[in-house]
Amino acid sequence: MENEQHGNKKYGMVINLDKCTGCGACMVACMSENNVPFKKDETDKLKSITWMRLFKLSNKKSYPDSDICYLPRPCMHCAGPHEHGHSPCVSVCPATATDYSTETGIVSQIYTRCFGCRYCMAACPYHARYFNWWDPVWPEGMEKYLSPNVSVRMRGVVEKCSFCFHRYQLAMDKAYVEGRRELEEKEYQTACTQACPAGAITFGDLNNPEHKVHQLAQPDPEHDGRPRNPNVFRLLERLGTNPKVYYFSSREWVRRSGDNYLKDEVMPGAH
Amino acid sequence: MKIDRRCFLSLGIGAAAGVALSPLPWKLADDSSIWTQNWPWTPVPKDGKVSHVNSTCSLCPGGCGISVRKVGDRAVKIEGAAGHPVNDGGICIRGLSGLQLLYGPTRVKTPLKRAGKRGEGKWTKISWQEAIGEVAQALGKLRDGGQPHTLAAVMGSDRGTVSQLMQRFMSAYGSPNFFRMPSVQDAYEQALYLMQGERAMAGFDVDNADFVLSFGSGLIEGWGAPVRMIRACGKWVQDGVRIVQAEPRLSNTAAKAAVNGDWLPIKPGTEAALALGIANVIIRENLFNQFVDQASSGFESAVDSEGRQHKGFKELVLTSYSPETVAGITGIDADRITAVARDFAAAKHPLALAGRGMGHTPGSVYDIMAVQALNALVGNINADGGVWAVPEPDYIQWDAPEIDKTAAEGNQKGRIDGAGSADAPYSRYLMNRFAGAVLGKSTYAIQALLVSEANPAYSLPDTEAFKAALDAIPLVVSFSSFMDETAAQADLILPNHVYLERYEDIAAPAGFSKPLIGLCRPAVDPQFDTRHVGDAIIAIAGKLGGNTAAAFPWADYKACLRDTFGSRWDDLRQTGYWWNEAYQPSSAESGFKTTSGKFEFVATALREYSKKSDAMMPHYEPIAPEGDASKFSLVLMPYDTLRLSSGYVGSPPFMMKSVPDTVLKGNVGLVGVNPETASSLGLTEGADAVIETPKGRAAVKVHLSAGVPPDCVFMPRGLGHSAYDDYLAGKGVNIYQLMGPVEDPVSGLDAAWGIRANLIKA
Amino acid sequence: MIDSALIPEGVKRCPTWKFLLALAVCGVVLLWGVIAMLLCWFKGLNQTNMNDYYGFALWIWADLGVIALGGGAFFTGLLRYVIGKDELKHIINYAVLIGFICYSSALLILAIDIGQPLRGWFIFWHANVHSMLTEVAFCLTCYFGVLCIEYLPLILENRQIDKVPFFHNLSHNFHEIMAVFAATGAFLSFFHQGSLGGVAGVLYGRPFGYRTGLLVWPWTFFLFTWSAAACGPCFTIFITRLTEKITGKQLVKPNVIHLLAKIAGWMLASYMVAKIADTLWWAFRTAPSEGFNWRDFYSNNALYGPWILFMEIVVCGILPALILTVKSLRERSGLLFTAVGLAALGVLLNRWVMVLQVLAVPVLPFDKWALYYPSWQEVATTILPVAYGVILIMISYRYLPIFPQERELNAVDSAV
Ligand SMILES: Nc1nc2c(c(=O)[nH]1)N[C@H]1C(S)=C(S)[C@@H](COP(=O)(O)OP(=O)(O)OC[C@H]3O[C@@H](n4cnc5c(=O)[nH]c(N)nc54)[C@H](O)[C@@H]3O)O[C@H]1N2
Ligand SMILES: Nc1nc2c(c(=O)[nH]1)N[C@H]1C(S)=C(S)[C@@H](COP(=O)(O)OP(=O)(O)OC[C@H]3O[C@@H](n4cnc5c(=O)[nH]c(N)nc54)[C@H](O)[C@@H]3O)O[C@H]1N2
Ligand code: SF4
Ligand code: SF4
Ligand code: SF4
Ligand code: SF4
Ligand code: SF4
Ligand SMILES: [Mo]
Repeated sequence: MENEQHGNKKYGMVINLDKCTGCGACMVACMSENNVPFKKDETDKLKSITWMRLFKLSNKKSYPDSDICYLPRPCMHCAGPHEHGHSPCVSVCPATATDYSTETGIVSQIYTRCFGCRYCMAACPYHARYFNWWDPVWPEGMEKYLSPNVSVRMRGVVEKCSFCFHRYQLAMDKAYVEGRRELEEKEYQTACTQACPAGAITFGDLNNPEHKVHQLAQPDPEHDGRPRNPNVFRLLERLGTNPKVYYFSSREWVRRSGDNYLKDEVMPGAH
Repeated sequence: MKIDRRCFLSLGIGAAAGVALSPLPWKLADDSSIWTQNWPWTPVPKDGKVSHVNSTCSLCPGGCGISVRKVGDRAVKIEGAAGHPVNDGGICIRGLSGLQLLYGPTRVKTPLKRAGKRGEGKWTKISWQEAIGEVAQALGKLRDGGQPHTLAAVMGSDRGTVSQLMQRFMSAYGSPNFFRMPSVQDAYEQALYLMQGERAMAGFDVDNADFVLSFGSGLIEGWGAPVRMIRACGKWVQDGVRIVQAEPRLSNTAAKAAVNGDWLPIKPGTEAALALGIANVIIRENLFNQFVDQASSGFESAVDSEGRQHKGFKELVLTSYSPETVAGITGIDADRITAVARDFAAAKHPLALAGRGMGHTPGSVYDIMAVQALNALVGNINADGGVWAVPEPDYIQWDAPEIDKTAAEGNQKGRIDGAGSADAPYSRYLMNRFAGAVLGKSTYAIQALLVSEANPAYSLPDTEAFKAALDAIPLVVSFSSFMDETAAQADLILPNHVYLERYEDIAAPAGFSKPLIGLCRPAVDPQFDTRHVGDAIIAIAGKLGGNTAAAFPWADYKACLRDTFGSRWDDLRQTGYWWNEAYQPSSAESGFKTTSGKFEFVATALREYSKKSDAMMPHYEPIAPEGDASKFSLVLMPYDTLRLSSGYVGSPPFMMKSVPDTVLKGNVGLVGVNPETASSLGLTEGADAVIETPKGRAAVKVHLSAGVPPDCVFMPRGLGHSAYDDYLAGKGVNIYQLMGPVEDPVSGLDAAWGIRANLIKA
Repeated sequence: MIDSALIPEGVKRCPTWKFLLALAVCGVVLLWGVIAMLLCWFKGLNQTNMNDYYGFALWIWADLGVIALGGGAFFTGLLRYVIGKDELKHIINYAVLIGFICYSSALLILAIDIGQPLRGWFIFWHANVHSMLTEVAFCLTCYFGVLCIEYLPLILENRQIDKVPFFHNLSHNFHEIMAVFAATGAFLSFFHQGSLGGVAGVLYGRPFGYRTGLLVWPWTFFLFTWSAAACGPCFTIFITRLTEKITGKQLVKPNVIHLLAKIAGWMLASYMVAKIADTLWWAFRTAPSEGFNWRDFYSNNALYGPWILFMEIVVCGILPALILTVKSLRERSGLLFTAVGLAALGVLLNRWVMVLQVLAVPVLPFDKWALYYPSWQEVATTILPVAYGVILIMISYRYLPIFPQERELNAVDSAV
């Protein structure tokens, strides 16, 4: 297993939910970085493209024992069982319009190839995928701020968080020009990580012991990257999607909210 | 050749087969798919040379450093400037959305003159020359008629060169009626003046605090400099710093406090009582710092030379604010109060801070004094991790303008809001009294109003009253970059550049503990026919001539700015900001600027206000919400969220997109209601309802929230715009339509924290 | 009648005006559907009420539904040509016709359902062999080709076309080799019915749909094929009976119907055993291992309750299986009609559950049930194939010898 991974990167995130304030900067940093369109009414959250979405978790207790926690949800860039790249979404796309890169661990989305069947959306339990139900339209003049690094998606295709892949490409281009084959940790950081005022998001190569994400999550290669840090969890760990986004929380109820458990089931690592 | 049916059919089939085998259908299929990949109506962003412009964000008082990424001549992204003392790379949702303001449809693109009735939305485009001429002519007439004092000006800030230019204009012209929009800074400045004798800004050394006790402040919801505070909070979590939040509602800050600290679900409006209850424990258990003995006055009761008994703070607190008494007022158990007090006193660098939510409402000065007294008890006034008195920026050293007779007479007239007069001696601006004064409570009528970088018609409590006041003012001039609510009611709009197109000094981020000046500079050329408000003021003054013109020796605003900074200008342009990193406030030993030279628990300055010793000390004086409790069974309260902009600029589309569907659904705003309260009112999740207060009524939907205390209704600030574009206008309710100000008895500042209300099933 | 020359010899058809009137009525419904279809193509899928939680909705259910119901064609074909149940030749034409309608509808719906119809062919060009949908697309298209080939001889049997010697011979030759196509069709059908079952079954991120299985195929793969083989023929019988009721004529002899009903009955019965076993395994092994109690899938929402399981397994499964397998029961006309109707309903319900309920069930513990109702455009596009099917049946029935036994069963006074 480890040998197969040798030299390959596995980019991932650790999001510290103790630090996350729910401020929404990550959401908007992403929209602004990635040319995400908007409509006049965005209150139907089932039709609102948010590559990074903030969920508000509640401990379901009544006032004043109530507690809440925000959970930012980008695409998990699931590797699927045994790191084979059979992400829930990638494995079902009939046109190979979304792909798993064994080089970076990033799940790509090729807008020009996607034909909009939405099977990948049905497959993704995290609702990380969004369909362009409408043509993207910017009010007159506002298209001036669109970034040429990320192509604007046409109506009828699916899009999602790319871990700001263009930033990886730009960083790699720069490295190659400078005769390097490897990136420094800080050279490739996502827009949401960069923006987060709380420093709640850490991004880097989970395979690289030097990188903070590796140290925080302590992924267990024997168990598809399951975190060894007892305060770290992944969403829906039990489904075997093998996500690369990890969450840290010191609160047990929050960690328990990350997966489904039977009523009296004891959460692994619960104390 | 005769074509029979058989032949025809064979030919047909043959042709079909031929077409199918030819490249034609495949080519067509390929071309059509390629066409879908290049739909001409899907924009293709142009590529170009990438560059970055370092600047300062001025969308809130946060003063973040920003880096604007450009491609060719287009700005494509705003990022936080790495290494900046305020935000070090972080940025908030509003700062990130700035380009939607720059390139957005709500910009006022050229000077406009009202064509129809006020607020009708009919405008005539005019030239800058005409616009300046019109304003100068009208103001000239007023002045010539001996009425310069009937001009009023409202701005978002009173610091920095732009605001100073406006204030200079006002005094050279002859009016005392300059206004700054209200905020908790008003109350903090006053509390600092009363207890420490200094006209200073409150700075909070948040990075070095190791225990944070917050009285309802939205530490991660926009209080102070928003990004700085969120960064600090991230650090507190990292370092295990305890946060205790006293707040009625489970806000994001309260929830954060619950992670490693405590949320004290306090009864609304009783924060000062809690602070004094905590003080009680600290005093009774002798946990207070030597600062009290060495550097304070008014702690112990005393008898003066004439034999009069003067109650001290200690006696007041010990007699009136036992934890048990306070528990009864605040709803927080005595044990919990005691525990918090002990922990607070035991911490090395405890920090207590106040100002509800983002600090939109000044609040009661006594509240702030009570919290400041706590800081004094633990000795963290002007100390590491404590509250610092940061001197107001002094870099603007212009020669005083020459004042002619007309101006001198005008300036002599009292302000219409009575700020600085006997009933509010230490208040500088009382915007909450503006509408009442204009509508007849003042000795004279306001004839003209200038508004810049402020949207009072939206963001002042009791919007109806303010609109009525605008109606009563013959000339309203807006310098707004956007068609906001105030601009929409104006007679003339002289649109300013937006912050990404202009130079400006951004002085002193809110709550920042060290002197800092950020430079805002153009990232792109002005997109429209707009003009810097500084240039507009200089031009108007020039047109007015005489002393007013003479007060402005600069050719234009940029010359003024360069002149102001002198030798520091180049440095400022290089780094984008200037700060005094080594700054340390004067230590307690070196004394305070009060009459006693000490920190005053009994504010001697308040002797003017009241001879009763209690009234000179921090104490709990309940501010009752407006309305008759027998007619209204609930209390409506505002809350702040960083996902909505509630000040001068409206929320751009990205921010609106981030608003949860539990806050806004379609065009209807949701109010947060406690589930039990809702069920007693027969209301379920998502139910339509009408909220009714003494000020008005509005249709809303209900969101059940276990974070809301019983019998309270919460509504965010920042919704319910009538102006701006379709992405913002008409969505939800502006809480200030439903709520008015309530005066703080000691300062006259707005101290309302809620209003009585009913929620009725629709 | 002006079109009498086209009508098969020796059968009676309603007057032309009546036929045209009925055609017009269906035509209006068809037009409504076509308008909705064009709206979806030109304005995009914002015309629907689908959303990011409901990426699959009414259409995909209709798609899976009609394909299951069209299963009568492959299974009857298999019985007739491969297994040699010769009596079934009297109903095979109709089974093929119904199959043709169902499959052409399914393809049309897919072409409307995708966000980029002009890129639909990428599914073949950039095929991902791991995707069930790729398998579906390939098999579905191939089988539709087979159905065309099976339907073509029927058209060629039209009185006028048959007069052309070329077509006469062609038709004859087709009949000779039909067994090959039927076998191919049955094979393809087995796979695409199965892969349609796999569509939800492989979704390991969706515990409500996900099933363990055999090799690369989840159990739903086999269950879908099985249920289509059981319920497809039931639908053929149902439509045949309906046609008989509408035309007021007996078109197929009871022994043929009863034979097919009996086979379908045993298929349904065995399917039910498998379905119940699958449900138990899923509810008590698979779901709990992912942290779900099976009741979680049927509570906290306004629509999906345990009643669905009861409906699908008892009312539309065990009950019709009982009726169809017991000779005395299935030979009672009313009961037979009810049973085949229930079986068809059952398979539709199953497909609904496997599409819409899969998406409705919250997976993230902090998420909510997502309920959805279709827009009129979706309803119209879903009814479009029904109208189209009725029209095709009307035309085929009128002009083609669909029911070989019709003449024998309904002697016509040649004077008319
Ligand atoms: N006929 C036809 N041909 C096409 C297309 C089409 O629409 N029609 N599409 C064209 C397009 S747009 C593309 S991108 C190519 C695909 O061809 P390539 O450009 O070669 O894309 P990948 O092989 O996906 O890119 C290499 C790796 O980058 C990783 N990756 C991560 N993030 C991203 C991302 O955001 N984008 C991409 N592309 N890769 C990412 C993927 O995991 C992948 O393994 O095919 C092109 N060919
Ligand atoms: N977030 C995210 N970002 C991505 C990717 C991702 O998956 N996710 N994918 C990345 C990858 S791999 C790729 S390849 C790119 C794709 O992004 P782009 O390379 O930008 O691809 P397109 O979106 O097809 O845009 C190409 C544009 O070129 C123009 N064009 C095409 N053909 C012609 C022509 O013949 N003449 C002229 N004048 N113009 C033409 C069209 O206007 C078309 O919109 O996006 C990259 N960015
Ligand atoms: S930017 Fe950071 S703190 Fe704000 S919501 Fe996102 S992760 Fe949380
Ligand atoms: S989160 Fe969803 S979209 Fe992202 S890789 Fe996993 S399954 Fe695919
Ligand atoms: S919608 Fe696009 S990316 Fe998703 S499965 Fe279909 S073709 Fe693939
Ligand atoms: S990694 Fe990039 S694409 Fe993904 S959520 Fe963050 S900003 Fe958006
Ligand atoms: S906190 Fe204020 S100054 Fe900083 S980016 Fe946000 S709006 Fe701008
Ligand atoms: Mo590409």
